[in-house]
Amino acid sequence: MAKTSLCDEAEQNLQTSLASFFKFVLAMEDIHALLAPMRLPANERVMHTLVTDPELLDPIDPFAPSFPMNAARLVSRLTKRPGGEMVAVVLRPCEIRALIELVKLKQGDMENIIIVGIDCPGAFKNTDYVEFAGENPETAAERFLAGALSGETKFDGGVEISAACRACTHPVPQGADLSIGIFGLDSDRQFLVSADTEKGKALFDRLGLSGCDVPDSRREAIDSLLSVRREFQKEMMDDIQKKTNTPEKLATYLSGCINCYNCRVACPVCYCRECVFVTDVFDHDPFQYLRWARRKGMIKMPTDTVFYHITRMAHISTACVGCGQCSNACPNDIGLSELFIASASTSQSAFDYEAGRSLEEDPPLTVFREDEFDDVVEVNH
Amino acid sequence: MKPKIGRALVVGGGISGIRAALDLAETGYGVILVEKAPHLGGVLSQLDSQFPTNHCGMCKMLPLVERDAGSQYCLRKGLFHENIDIRMSTRVAAIEGEAGHFTIRLQKQPGFVDPDTCIGCGMCADVCPVAVADEFNAGLSRRKAVYLPVPHMTPNTYVIDSAACSRCGECVDVCPTGAIRLFRQGRADFGVLVVDDEYTVRDSIKEWLEEEGFFVEAAASGEEALDAMEKQSFKMMLLDIKMPGMDGVAVLKKTMENYPEMAVVMMTAYATVETAVEAMKTGAMDYLMKPFDPEDLVSKVIDVYEVREASMGETMEAGAVIFCGGTECYDPSTGKNPFGYKVFPDVLTGLEFERLISGTGPGGGELVRLSDGRPVKTIAWVQCVGSRNLQLDKDYCSGICCMVAIKEAMLAKERGHEDLEATIFYMDMRTFGKSFQRFRERAEKDFNIRFTRGCVHTISADDKTGKLMVTYPVEDSRHMEAAFDMVVLSTGQQPAGGVDKLAEMADFEQNPWGFARSEPFAPARTKRDGIFLAGSFSGPKDIAESVISAGSASLCASAAIHAAGGGMAEVDGDLPEYADVSLQAPKVRIALCECGATLPGGIDMERIAADLKADPAVENVFVIPRLCTVEGWDMLVEKTKGKGYNRLLVGACTPYVYTRRLRQLGEKVMVDPALMDVEDIRSPAFAYADAAAGDIEQAMARRLKSGLSRLREVDPLPKQSAPIARRALVIGGGIAGMTAALAIADHGYPVDLVEKKGELGGNLNWLTHTIEGYDVRDFFDNVRQRLEKHPRITVYVNSRVVSSFGAVGNFYTTIETSDAPSRTLHHGIAILATGGNEAETTAYCCGQSDAVITQKVLEQKISQKQIDCKSIDTVAMIQCVDSREEPRNYCSRVCCTSTLKHILHMKKKNPDLGVYVFYRDMMSYGFAETWYTEARKAGAIFIPYTVDAKPQVFVGEKGDPPVKIKAYEPLLEADVTVNADLLVLATGIVPALPQSLADAFGAGIDADGFFREAESKWRPVDSLKEGVFACGIALSPRSVTESVASAEAAAQRGLRILSKNALTSARVTARVRHSLCSLCERCIDVCPYGARSVDLDMQKIIVNAAMCQGCGNCASECPNSASVIDGFFDGRMLDMIDMVIE
Repeated sequence: MAKTSLCDEAEQNLQTSLASFFKFVLAMEDIHALLAPMRLPANERVMHTLVTDPELLDPIDPFAPSFPMNAARLVSRLTKRPGGEMVAVVLRPCEIRALIELVKLKQGDMENIIIVGIDCPGAFKNTDYVEFAGENPETAAERFLAGALSGETKFDGGVEISAACRACTHPVPQGADLSIGIFGLDSDRQFLVSADTEKGKALFDRLGLSGCDVPDSRREAIDSLLSVRREFQKEMMDDIQKKTNTPEKLATYLSGCINCYNCRVACPVCYCRECVFVTDVFDHDPFQYLRWARRKGMIKMPTDTVFYHITRMAHISTACVGCGQCSNACPNDIGLSELFIASASTSQSAFDYEAGRSLEEDPPLTVFREDEFDDVVEVNH
Repeated sequence: MKPKIGRALVVGGGISGIRAALDLAETGYGVILVEKAPHLGGVLSQLDSQFPTNHCGMCKMLPLVERDAGSQYCLRKGLFHENIDIRMSTRVAAIEGEAGHFTIRLQKQPGFVDPDTCIGCGMCADVCPVAVADEFNAGLSRRKAVYLPVPHMTPNTYVIDSAACSRCGECVDVCPTGAIRLFRQGRADFGVLVVDDEYTVRDSIKEWLEEEGFFVEAAASGEEALDAMEKQSFKMMLLDIKMPGMDGVAVLKKTMENYPEMAVVMMTAYATVETAVEAMKTGAMDYLMKPFDPEDLVSKVIDVYEVREASMGETMEAGAVIFCGGTECYDPSTGKNPFGYKVFPDVLTGLEFERLISGTGPGGGELVRLSDGRPVKTIAWVQCVGSRNLQLDKDYCSGICCMVAIKEAMLAKERGHEDLEATIFYMDMRTFGKSFQRFRERAEKDFNIRFTRGCVHTISADDKTGKLMVTYPVEDSRHMEAAFDMVVLSTGQQPAGGVDKLAEMADFEQNPWGFARSEPFAPARTKRDGIFLAGSFSGPKDIAESVISAGSASLCASAAIHAAGGGMAEVDGDLPEYADVSLQAPKVRIALCECGATLPGGIDMERIAADLKADPAVENVFVIPRLCTVEGWDMLVEKTKGKGYNRLLVGACTPYVYTRRLRQLGEKVMVDPALMDVEDIRSPAFAYADAAAGDIEQAMARRLKSGLSRLREVDPLPKQSAPIARRALVIGGGIAGMTAALAIADHGYPVDLVEKKGELGGNLNWLTHTIEGYDVRDFFDNVRQRLEKHPRITVYVNSRVVSSFGAVGNFYTTIETSDAPSRTLHHGIAILATGGNEAETTAYCCGQSDAVITQKVLEQKISQKQIDCKSIDTVAMIQCVDSREEPRNYCSRVCCTSTLKHILHMKKKNPDLGVYVFYRDMMSYGFAETWYTEARKAGAIFIPYTVDAKPQVFVGEKGDPPVKIKAYEPLLEADVTVNADLLVLATGIVPALPQSLADAFGAGIDADGFFREAESKWRPVDSLKEGVFACGIALSPRSVTESVASAEAAAQRGLRILSKNALTSARVTARVRHSLCSLCERCIDVCPYGARSVDLDMQKIIVNAAMCQGCGNCASECPNSASVIDGFFDGRMLDMIDMVIE
């Protein structure tokens, strides 16, 4: 049974209240650092920052609609090899789920971290965030929540919550030790802290938080959000299906690709030290290009772009958490997240697997079942 | 692989023959594998699915260590191993000498198609006018006289059925490569001299024979004939008796003096028949009576010619001989009760059924009635046709048919009509092998196959419905009749044809049932030293048993060769040292065979050559008119001499792909054969026979470019080699452990034998004799003495394994001995022979009365003379106590035979003793069936029971009979009560293999606690982890003799490894490119051979190259090709694919 506590300081707004809470957390003797989104001193961009001094936590801003990268990759860097010190990490739900996938792939470890998950109303594309934040980045979160929590997706200046976020059906953190909830509360100043794991409950107790019940409004707010999101997800997937259901259409869809590989750098579960597409495997002889050109009369350069995306789909579609960073990273505005979310949904349901659901579930391709996919391979019939 | 001394002859190329040959070859011996058929694989070449997996899996027998020495593809397609010399269509004519030094004479059937030249195009079969029943499809389809013996062989070359061939010569004319040498070519060298004073006679004979292609001369008199013989050599003479001047007999005498090899056939009129008979004594071969039919005369000459061709035998030396002649299926049409076989078309034998449902079968696998083509909806199996039959003098059980029938019924359910109903009629369902009982239950529960107990006696046809009527007895001597669309007769196994002759020739004995007879406790041995038996040649066996027996026989053969001085010591052969070209850019020279202008017109080799030359990696391309001729080959050698290139691609036809000729070429021109490849460019010409020449030319070019891509990327890395500890550890000192230890130590390698108890012997400490009457104690004493005296065996009693780590070649195992410090042993292989014990029970009042005992206690009481059979009146026995039902749902295999043994013993002591046996299925498999018959003849009563109605047992109060058994008797359809003095329970066997021990060696344990084999049929004594083996009861319940066989097989598997100084990796082995590796360890999870581990200190994935089998799981799992398989690098594979889809 989870423990929950409502933080509601009459004198403070959400921003300052959160800063006080995290200062309190970082002041705990056995928590040595905190990794959290903070507004940077120079230009107020929001980036994950590793903080050891609680006094520097004032600009902490986890609800800012900025999602420059999936921080699971950062946690992987902190935990891939034994480090010894305990770090509290503040993550969005899709970041936690990506981290779970990375841990299964031995690219990270949960032992020395405390995951603090946050309710996620979504975020803008990077460029849209800069536009939205404008001159007043410190009020960006407040302005965003005011609209987003009441179901708005479009904001001033025509910026819109990213497609991946609008299609996300995991707005509430799963697998976190502590969770910060804002759905269904008075978001101006209230937030809910809940502890779901043994590790989280121990910290909850040490923080001396007082218990409370979860308000009914929260469940209602989440349900209504989910139903909107599911509807959008379905529309999005139907649409992408229509746009890419033949090899020719797929090639057209991806025709803007320039092999910059930004999407794979941004992808939290693309964990290879070096992508196969930049190794000798695809380092073709000059003669080869000419041979291809001669065969068909012409070839698009660079080559191997569709092949690259299909390969990535094959490699990560069972681990894709739908965070949308691929689209965010694409310089040519290819709707990659739509494509990957749709293919991941199919391949994960085929294996009755859900990326990021549980550490206990082995990645489908490492599990051998003799009777798997009889209907597809027709070995026995 | 370096050559080693010693060679063995393996006779028979079925499963056991292939296994024995591979075992010996892998251990380093040379093997001559002789098979009388034109293909390997025996009956399994016709069977697609085997119980209990209902898959094939023969490839699992392929070599695992030194893989590169042999072929690494489907064994049903063919076998190649550099140490195995395979002789098809060959028989053994004589074996002389003694163990270690046999002289063998082989006789090859005349082969009319040259396998080196035949390209398998099939044009010969198209024109062949003769059609006969196709053995491959069990006679369900027809084939030509020139045919492919097995459609899936590689390379697949045609053969000619000499008995069916009409010698019309059509095939010779169409063969594009001139591969068919019908006798005609040979016949031209076969000179026939016709001697007759009558011109018309000699001239017409000359004409007839010349038409058949023979070289014929005619002589008009005896003198002329003798002159002719001086001028020219003749093989045969047709000689008239009555001639003016020198008569036939005088000519014959002279001829025999000067040309004793000449085959002379006398030609005689009726009046001189007696003279002709007389002439036979002088040396004439035969006579023909005038006037004769030209056909008779011609066929006589052909016969003589063929016999002479055939007798062109070859003599070879071998140190040991293994006979693996297999068995043959009983033919129901020859029996007193043919069950409608060959009368009703829908009555099939099991083999015919398997062909019918095979995808390569006559109807492509569709399960329809042969009579009217309608789908089969009801089908019945009739068991024991030609087995367990005293009338047919077959008082034995064929052992495999019950499982085969269950498998076939499952296949029918899977592949047949969706409403198909399958019924098996049986007497006892003999599921005595490992996992077989559960297989049967799966058939019953999951597949809804009906099992009906009843001995079918009549199969008739209902003319109105077209159905087959099966009649069988039921309770109370009534009969039931049931209708089916199809009936399959589960035909039994009988001794292979010709076993009598072989026995006489090789001087081994036959057992009363006609199979080859093996020695007591030595299943592979015959009475003649150096002559061994494997597979079902010595009695019906399933695949696993055959594979084990082959291991046992090859161990014995190895020991015989070793003992005769032909040890396994390595001989330093001069292996050629090729230049290292790994740092050079690929330069490929290409040789293209034009195939002697037999390709369709319009294909321009020079144009293909020019196209290939455009690739900068191509150094040069040249065209050879016909590579399969001597001149062609010499031209290739000439053109590939000299420098300037570092890789060679040959575009030719299929046979070249698989021959050893590249190896020879490599040695001649000093280019590493690993850097040579052959691309089959001939097949496109008949694969696209109707296509335009341009398309064929493009297909050929695509193949060559694909081959070029493959070859260009070949990077011959030096093979890795790791030294090994040539020492074995055997755990368990029962008969299996002792046998394995002796077998290895006899080959000169030290063995540590660890036994947890204070004394060796295990179950041999209480067994006294076998059912055949062999003395177990004598045998045990003998083995123990040999073992204790053996200088290479160290025995640790009261000891146990504490821990072990390492991998094949180098295990480090710590053992603990009571009252002694623990020690660590360094060994190369481990054999688990931990045995098992009779299960304890509390069922049926066991433990509540002295009158209820187990079979083991009975045996002990008998041997200690604690039972006076004369003083008791009635003994009851219950079989399958706590067995063959969950949780111990397996047959313990030995109990029924023990029961029979005790019955016969007690009945002998007291013929009036009442014996009642309550059983579910009597598992008297194989020759034990005879003892079952004996026991019934002696008056023992057998009453079947089922699991839902087990007998009830009451232990008597004072004054009552000691024990009362109440059970349902189905024949009487009533409950019966037996008052007995003694109740003996057959409780079965439980294993004694601790999980911790199995874990220590990385071996698996199955649900029942027995050792989990790498594969139950094909690798029955191996663990999936290389270097760890098991034998005896640790594998599954088995008799003493069967334990010996498995122990020898396990020892043989171990000797493959111990016979080497170091384990060398194969060319196709996995490697890790560490700079790309993210250490996600998924490759470790998917490696089925346990060949991978992570070194956390070094931050590296480690591959044990000797354990890696190159399967590629790791490479396909690795997302960025950090894990790669040598020879299958991504870039190369992509290129190859790219080229063929161009």
